[in-house]
Amino acid sequence: MIPGDLTIQTPPDEPVIRFQRLVAAPPALVFRAWTEPELLRRWWGPAEYQLIVCEVDLRVGGGYRFVHRGPDGVEYGSRGRYLEVEPGRRLVNTFTRDPAPDRESVDAIDFLAVGGGTLVSGVSRHESIAARDAHVNAGMEGGMRGAYRKLDDLMTQEQS
Amino acid sequence: MGTTAELDRVFGALADPTRRAIVSRLVGGDAGVVELAAAFPISQPAVSKHLRVLEEAGLVTRRRDGRRNLCRLRPERLRPVAEWVAPYERFWAASFARLDDLVRQEQA
Repeated sequence: MIPGDLTIQTPPDEPVIRFQRLVAAPPALVFRAWTEPELLRRWWGPAEYQLIVCEVDLRVGGGYRFVHRGPDGVEYGSRGRYLEVEPGRRLVNTFTRDPAPDRESVDAIDFLAVGGGTLVSGVSRHESIAARDAHVNAGMEGGMRGAYRKLDDLMTQEQS
Repeated sequence: MGTTAELDRVFGALADPTRRAIVSRLVGGDAGVVELAAAFPISQPAVSKHLRVLEEAGLVTRRRDGRRNLCRLRPERLRPVAEWVAPYERFWAASFARLDDLVRQEQA
């Protein structure tokens, strides 16, 4: 795996989304970035999105509440509760979006020490493949499009 | 963005390990039905059946080439799958880029 390269997999036959990404920092720091509001505000979401509400009660059974505001002023809220909290190693939480509070996924993220960095390995498990697909399509990034460059490159290679 | 029905067909076609293996094989170039059958531990009629599903999803085309029945992948048909996941990928790619900056600053 190349540092900086984001891998996302949506298997057609399993209601999960997987992502992996190497980060050039030790797991303890990456875990803090994932769970401390003052750090979360600085990175979670695209630059043009502001994290205007960021409340974290980091303990098993505790909850979190996030609200992003997009460049168009539209707000996107999400919330959930923590199921497993292992600082520097693993975080498992439920996740729902405001428009669909009864459609819950369970997100498990492992922070693995790899060399001097961290392999962040996440799995979102949904109730069904249909629910997973709706989740990806709903996106909190309504205005975002594009980013097909990798596929375009692949196709150019395949067709040349 | 592909239509929902189109996505369902493509995902349905890819929801089988043998069909995914056939698609992977065809990324490397066109192949005859007989060659494909030889590459997988299943009968030629079974391979033909899988090819028919891939054809119906528009992922594969077949043509005669002399005595061979040649299969070709249509990679552009995989585009709806990639477009479907693109907003999600974009969100995480952008977030991780900012996380890179953050950990650089925190470790400086």
